[in-house]
Amino acid sequence: MRIAITGIGVISAIGANCDETLHSLLAEKSGIGSMRCLRSVHTDLPVGEVPFSDEELKRMTGTGDEPMPRTSLLGLKAAREAIGMSGAPFDAFISGTTVGGMDLTEQHWLDYQEGKAAENIRLHEAGESTNAIVRHLQNNQTANVFTPSTACSSALNAIMLGANMLRTGQAKRVVAGGAESLSRFHLNGFNTLMILSDQPCRPFDANRNGLNLGEGAGYLVIESEEDALARGAKILAYIGGYANSCDAYHQTASSPEGEGAYLAMKGALEMAGLQPSEIDYINAHGTATSNNDASESASVTRLFGVCKMPAISSTKAFTGHTTSASGGIEAVICILAMQHGFVPANLHWSEAAEGLIRPVTRTEHIPLRHILCNAFGFGGNESALIISAEATELSKGKMIKPVLVKTINDQMISDQMIREEVSPAEARRMTLQMRRIVAAAKRAMKETAVEMPDAIVCATQYGCMLQSMRFLQDMIDSGEQQLKPTPFIQSTHNTIASLIAILTGNHGYNATYSQGRQSLACALLDIETQMALGQIKTALVLKFDEEVEVWDRVLALVGEKTRAVARAYVYNKE
Amino acid sequence: MEQLIEQLKSQIIEALNFEDMTPADIDTDAPLFGEGLGLDSIDALELIMLMDREYGIKLADPKAGKAIFQSVRTMAEYIQANRTK
Repeated sequence: MRIAITGIGVISAIGANCDETLHSLLAEKSGIGSMRCLRSVHTDLPVGEVPFSDEELKRMTGTGDEPMPRTSLLGLKAAREAIGMSGAPFDAFISGTTVGGMDLTEQHWLDYQEGKAAENIRLHEAGESTNAIVRHLQNNQTANVFTPSTACSSALNAIMLGANMLRTGQAKRVVAGGAESLSRFHLNGFNTLMILSDQPCRPFDANRNGLNLGEGAGYLVIESEEDALARGAKILAYIGGYANSCDAYHQTASSPEGEGAYLAMKGALEMAGLQPSEIDYINAHGTATSNNDASESASVTRLFGVCKMPAISSTKAFTGHTTSASGGIEAVICILAMQHGFVPANLHWSEAAEGLIRPVTRTEHIPLRHILCNAFGFGGNESALIISAEATELSKGKMIKPVLVKTINDQMISDQMIREEVSPAEARRMTLQMRRIVAAAKRAMKETAVEMPDAIVCATQYGCMLQSMRFLQDMIDSGEQQLKPTPFIQSTHNTIASLIAILTGNHGYNATYSQGRQSLACALLDIETQMALGQIKTALVLKFDEEVEVWDRVLALVGEKTRAVARAYVYNKE
Repeated sequence: MEQLIEQLKSQIIEALNFEDMTPADIDTDAPLFGEGLGLDSIDALELIMLMDREYGIKLADPKAGKAIFQSVRTMAEYIQANRTK
């Protein structure tokens, strides 16, 4: 099957649509500057902010007075452009995010404590922030909605799931990408990790000193070439190949040799049937942190060889690091670059260093046939996507029902099991519920002798809510000062799946879905499509949520409460 | 100095969630990273934050922590020399 891209849409600090984005790229005009909409005390930190307030975005998207997280407003703006360009209804909407509605939660936290602003509470959930986009997109048309949440690789994983769904007949036309707004929460979180620069970022420069956070959204509309041609749609580019691999090294840092990134890029090339020498341009993850750029350079050099390095640049000096949206925004940038035949400049680079990629520093006008786009996330969730000017034949698969070979549920997890499966050193940073799910996962793998499953996929409504709420409360109480990094590191939705990969050295497929009570169904569909396509044979599926008193007091305003769940399932293809 | 070392050990145990440990379990001169307590880069960030919160010492470059956090003793000496509270 050939997967055609028939629509693209984007919004970021360098433009509110494709045309503006293209113009800024060609003019080498960065969008990084002082914060205007984000109300943080850390005004010395530059950001790649979309230059519209929430109210302006509401007017632009016609959403009126309805409460909408900024993530959803940005997503809606970009998704409309992509769908309008494609010109046909979709039956699946897949949008990666991690921030979700955190911007509303942090703004209204004190109101919540006083029993006010209850209408915003449900929008906190990542999955609800995606639902809010879809509600405004199609009238009377239903679509399956998915919210992958693998931190900064979320949007690329969305595109991968979309492609897998097309190849297995689970969807006809998919909108896939990601959306993420700036929030004080993750600005402060990244600040505790000491990886934010107080200057415009300099990816791959010897003197780089950290990243700038950005925001925005980017989506592709993908469908079979056959369908696109039948309806006379314009084909912009094709999906060449893709892969996801876990670095299985550290919760926030990439391994020195970039093993996960290497495996993801290698897997994408293999699926596309391409030699490294056929890649014309790599849009690097290139965050401009000391760690990412060194690790990514090592993995790219290992795969491509020093002499045969294609043109490489990071576009984060234009947009900032748009975290969960980055894969979507950068995939759109790659398609614009392909359409107009240029390599975007890696701005602000001036000094080479040994072992580091030497990027393209001025716009280079060359034809691009195959582009590799990287997105790497916390927990080592690494993904790579190849976008091609020519069609690539990808195999199709017939859906199968995987066999559930083991379940470890909440009642089966004893204190003894936790002691046996989780060492004190491992447990040190985990909440009790995290220890329970890790113990359940390890025990399930042991009892089925599936010690190295091909995929680890977690389903969670709220993610690691206890640590999130700890960080949020501390941030508000302290006025954004002297925050502890550990609760932030553990706050992302993908903490559980990636942590289990780290603890067991599993470099396989790794993903997390946050779609309310549909989260488990999303995770299962992911592994079913992959089993159907022969990409995996075994999978560890986890269901995780925590009971969080401080959030329950807020949820009580809408008559709900959190429910603790820790379950591990092992599935085999047959 | 000895008093500062004891206090620091308690603060490290709390900041890094060493639940079953007491100050007596930490060797003042043993390496904090690698062997010894086996700390990692997340702990280094926590120790930087600890020095900021408890002693008013701000480190701009996380790499500077490497020399300071060799052992509890080197950390205490650095705090003694640089504390602002």
